[in-house]
Amino acid sequence: MHDEVAAYVLGVLDEDDHEAFERHLDTCERCQAELVALAELPDQLDELRHASSTSDDDPPMSMSH
Amino acid sequence: MCPVLGHLDGRFESADAEAEHRIAVLYQEFGGPLLRHVRKSTGNDLQWAEDVVQETIVRAWRNSARLQWEPSLIWAWLLTVARRIVIDGRRRRSARPQEVEPPEVDMMSVPDGSERALSAMVVADALRSLSEEHREVIEQTYLRDRTISEAAEILGIPPGTVKSRLYYGIRALRELLRDKGVAG
Ligand SMILES: [Zn+2]
Repeated sequence: MHDEVAAYVLGVLDEDDHEAFERHLDTCERCQAELVALAELPDQLDELRHASSTSDDDPPMSMSH
Repeated sequence: MCPVLGHLDGRFESADAEAEHRIAVLYQEFGGPLLRHVRKSTGNDLQWAEDVVQETIVRAWRNSARLQWEPSLIWAWLLTVARRIVIDGRRRRSARPQEVEPPEVDMMSVPDGSERALSAMVVADALRSLSEEHREVIEQTYLRDRTISEAAEILGIPPGTVKSRLYYGIRALRELLRDKGVAG
């Protein structure tokens, strides 16, 4: 269960696992500490999404319709 | 006890009034920073960002026991809740036809001269220096808005293996970025 903290912080857990991990987080100090340590890492990965659009005026590619 | 929402019990005439007050306090405390943060993920879509913040605050209010956590943990949790809401929204949008595949990391164009481009380059470098197994699960989950089970199917490995590789991959990435002075 503890290693799900990475998938949790990235928001990629499937629904059942996500809900189970939310409950785990209530009592697991180890995962709470890792959540704090990892919380802003996904924002750094987001830099890759932004960098891939050709200019600031373009919508991010994932929002293209 | 968290200073944000402590000592409220018994001061309100009705549960509704207390709930309303708690939500107002949550907005006051976290609304602004959260909105600035979420806007980075929703691009220029301010309306979407405001909706995400609103839903995040409501979820926080429903989980009010968590508001007794220390502020750094509350903040980390709120960011994670908001991110999940953004990803769900993006998945709904991209479920429409004409989905655009994100480019591979190697193919990403990095315009010169901007701070954002520089930091994208640092992150791309860090990602490239991970092991293939670690990089692959990060690309096939988060960077493509896929869940663990979707990525597991594509990669042909068990979901538990995806979770475990993600864990070690993300920790390795954090160490790499911290060495470069990027991570907080
Ligand atoms: Zn744990």
